[in-house]
Amino acid sequence: MWTRKASFTFTGGIALILIGMMIANLQMMILGISFIAFIVVNSWISGHGDVEVQRTLSADNLYKGDDLYVELLVTNRSNRNTQLLEVYDNIPHEMKLRSGLNQMRLNLRPGESARIRYVLRCPLRGHYSIGPVSLRSRNTFNLGVDEMYVDHHSDIVIFPQIKEVEEAFLRSRTPKMYTGATTLRTPGQGSEFYSLREYVPGDPFKNINWKAFARTGELMVNEKCRDAVTDLYILLDSRDIARIGTVLKNPLEMGTVSAASLAAFFLKRRDSVALAIFDDNLSYLPPDTGDKQYFKILSALAGVSPKGAMPLQAVTNSLSGRFSRGSPVFIISSCEGDGTVPAAVRDLVGRGHEVTVLSPSSIDFERLVSRIPRMSYEVLKLERQNRLTTLAGSGAMVIDWMPDMDLSQALMQVRGY
Amino acid sequence: MADDVGLQGDVTVSGEVRPRTLHLKMLRKQWQIISLQIIATVALIGMYLEVVSTYVVGSIDHTMLFDTIEILIGDQLPIGDWLTGEGRTGLSRFFVPLILGLAVGGGMALLAFQTPTVQQRVKLGFIVTLIVVLVGQLLFSWLTGMLFSFDLRLPNSGELSTLEWPLLMILSMMILFLYLLPVIMGAKGIWGLSRRSIAWAIGFTLLFLGVHAILAFPLINGQLGDYGNSVSVIGAQFSEPTIGISGLLLVTNEQFGLIMIAILIMVFQESSYGVIRYLEYAYRLPESCKRDPEYVRQMDNVLNTHLKHTFGFLGLTAVATIVALGFHSVLLDIVKDSTGSQWAGQVSESIELSLTYGLVISAAMFLSIMALLRFFVPWERIWGFIYARKTPDNTTQTKEIVEI
Repeated sequence: MWTRKASFTFTGGIALILIGMMIANLQMMILGISFIAFIVVNSWISGHGDVEVQRTLSADNLYKGDDLYVELLVTNRSNRNTQLLEVYDNIPHEMKLRSGLNQMRLNLRPGESARIRYVLRCPLRGHYSIGPVSLRSRNTFNLGVDEMYVDHHSDIVIFPQIKEVEEAFLRSRTPKMYTGATTLRTPGQGSEFYSLREYVPGDPFKNINWKAFARTGELMVNEKCRDAVTDLYILLDSRDIARIGTVLKNPLEMGTVSAASLAAFFLKRRDSVALAIFDDNLSYLPPDTGDKQYFKILSALAGVSPKGAMPLQAVTNSLSGRFSRGSPVFIISSCEGDGTVPAAVRDLVGRGHEVTVLSPSSIDFERLVSRIPRMSYEVLKLERQNRLTTLAGSGAMVIDWMPDMDLSQALMQVRGY
Repeated sequence: MADDVGLQGDVTVSGEVRPRTLHLKMLRKQWQIISLQIIATVALIGMYLEVVSTYVVGSIDHTMLFDTIEILIGDQLPIGDWLTGEGRTGLSRFFVPLILGLAVGGGMALLAFQTPTVQQRVKLGFIVTLIVVLVGQLLFSWLTGMLFSFDLRLPNSGELSTLEWPLLMILSMMILFLYLLPVIMGAKGIWGLSRRSIAWAIGFTLLFLGVHAILAFPLINGQLGDYGNSVSVIGAQFSEPTIGISGLLLVTNEQFGLIMIAILIMVFQESSYGVIRYLEYAYRLPESCKRDPEYVRQMDNVLNTHLKHTFGFLGLTAVATIVALGFHSVLLDIVKDSTGSQWAGQVSESIELSLTYGLVISAAMFLSIMALLRFFVPWERIWGFIYARKTPDNTTQTKEIVEI
């Protein structure tokens, strides 16, 4: 495709020829002809040869706020020079360049490669895709330009940040919830003996029961009972109202961070953790333990976006049958715009669950983006206090989570009933 | 990238050898950039001399204007003849002014790279000097005259005559500046990296050619009377072609001169703008990329290609223009030789053919054929093949690893 310069040169050339003919001026005609000849000669080389692009990422999964190292290898696979090639790696607009540059002007000889290396900061959780790679080739004199894409994508998941949760905070006011490890009569990671079974490749040698081997002549391994405190249920409010605040600071972002941190904390203790996210739908991850569950929870949290307005009672009604008896339930919600919250909490408490409501203060988040008159703020704050007091009165432990408050700090403020 | 990503594997940072970077301070001294600037300067000088020798010398050159002024004032101009080129003949009249113009342009470019404070001081100094030169002598003689005679009066004619020398000097300098405007602006643009100055240099040259073309148009030229005679009109009919390619004589010397003007304008424009474009790109790169050897290597590739293409493509453009201008005679030769008819001979006598319509139509035909050839001849593959033959084992080249 011609550039603006080429179009002007061509038009100028034609105009000079015509004017030269009109006034019988050879200089004008020659100037015009040479302009056209310049375009003609330059048009012989256009586009670029086969370019291969390969992208390497430092990680496929990252935590929010981490740095991602990207290396783009561009190789000229053709038998000609690429000419002036601008390579631009398309990055999601949510990511910020921390170092280096995601573009380069190059001219690769046949077989030559160039590496573009840059570092991205990932300030927002989510599922992202880096790519495609845009290629724009120009000739030396910027008369022709061709643009194309190399459809090469690299997917990446940015997990929510994991905050340190100190056990003491959780234990302090909930002595019944976490009474220490109890063995479950299922095989798994634990300390108590469960049964003997035949050795299969991959079993650690330390589990081999040498006495049994001496007795039977076959390799046998000890299997242990799974240790678990209990099943923990996390209900995350991802309704549309949870978007109040800034992109980086809103109830949903804080909710995902707290859900991920709590899940990480309990899974580390070999508890089972279940996650329910409600927005316009209810997505439920049944309780399980281990790294796989941890990854599933983080992936689910990475993809959460605010939408819908499902009431909490609809969630508890559909899930309460699946909850293990007496298991603790964490509700992470601003408790705004949903009149069913007290009834849902009462219902869960009535079924014998230890309910903790972690409630990011949406009024204070709103204050971050818009100016609320002092009187209105006070009234709204009072309404919120009443709502939380009602929940506390229903038998739940309520945490009023302010935007500038750390998670561990918030967990210290459990208000008993 | 050096800070966080780390230096790439093939970097050379050993001993006393400093790694090359794309910082302007370093890049401006790189041989490719300097070569492009020298090419642009040579093209500028060539273009100017070609235009001057074709249209100005002996017709409307500055020495003739100075002579006219000297006759009008009945005295010599204060500016020295050795500086203006008066008394010399032909193109040599422009040699000293040309050097002066280049020096002024270079000085302006040098000034552009100084700090704003220095620039301000130099400009202020220039203005003050100009004022002192202009009215200093008058004020001095007038004030001292009043002081010694204890009389408050207006300056007398003797004192006012001290203004004559500076005014004539400034007028001479302004005339020279006007004549040398393309050179001064071009030199400033090339070495001071100013797009606007380059545009001024090219624009002024094209404007001059345009105005000259209008004044040389017979209808207008006739209206100018005696003044019209001083406008050098390139003859409508040329002599026999004397310059050609591989035995085929295609253009005359006059036509070749005109082609050279067009080509040199393009060489000047592409080289000077190219330098600015590449330096601008390097300037905009983040600090880490400026230190990245990959970026340095690719900048080398891009600059080398620009240099090659400046010679290759603009050379080919000159050849294509020459062939296009002589293509009508080639066609007629072919018709004459193949058919043996007298028609070709008769047509070649036609002025329309050799001058305007025929020339343009045949040139357009040739250029169209050239343009269409790109669809039939795989130039890129041919050049790629030649390149691959020259450097057969590119893909297996190993990185040069040097200790850091």
